[in-house]
Amino acid sequence: MPESRTHTRTDPRASTELQLEDAWRVVVLNDPVNLMSYVVMVFKKVLGFDEAKARKHMLEVHEQGRSVVWVGLRETAEAHVFTLQQWHLTAVLESDEAR
Amino acid sequence: MKRVEVKLSLPVVAPLLDVIRELSTELQKSLAAPQALHDLDQDFRGAWIGDLLASQNEDLRALLSLFDGEFFTEGVVAFDESNAEPIVRACTAFRLQLRERRLKALGDEALETGEIDMSGLDEPVRKAFMCYLFLATVQELIIQHLDSTIIGS
Repeated sequence: MPESRTHTRTDPRASTELQLEDAWRVVVLNDPVNLMSYVVMVFKKVLGFDEAKARKHMLEVHEQGRSVVWVGLRETAEAHVFTLQQWHLTAVLESDEAR
Repeated sequence: MKRVEVKLSLPVVAPLLDVIRELSTELQKSLAAPQALHDLDQDFRGAWIGDLLASQNEDLRALLSLFDGEFFTEGVVAFDESNAEPIVRACTAFRLQLRERRLKALGDEALETGEIDMSGLDEPVRKAFMCYLFLATVQELIIQHLDSTIIGS
């Protein structure tokens, strides 16, 4: 796992602003190779989803081409993306600002 | 410890190992699933890819080690908690590489449904497709029997 980053913030802002700015999305994109059962297993293993939630996100990936599987602080989002990529899923990190 | 032993047909599987070894060589220096890492700075991206590659190579070695001398005498491979996770990942890496380098002409829909007329394929493509199906079967088998072992590890 690559070394984690340290974010030093000196600009005092309202907590709601910080929460918005710090929100990063982990998005899994569809690929034509991975088996549905494999994707479900990876979601359960990496993100701690139960069977129903894992299947819901897997179907979202399969049918809509992408699924936001996690939202939160960048450092944790990076760790999830790395682990999902380790399992050969196409996972990307997106800033909530990009919405 | 849960352990699954599978007896494979040597005449069917042995020729596929040549394909798997070739794929393993191709994947020494490249990721099976190239990733978009636009949001990372260059140094961090380099370390990130290096770590993914190291992990990928470790997984590929785990899969290749299944097919040792014992496999060639008994035709048996065994999966347990020590190798299930890297092997199931390695199967994906090899399948991604097969699709990218050997099976592109078949089209994704045909690959997904498996509805392919094998008799119409050239020998190298037929062998690659057999390998693609074999690796999917190994994955299904592991997920079916060792899913809880992998998730709990």
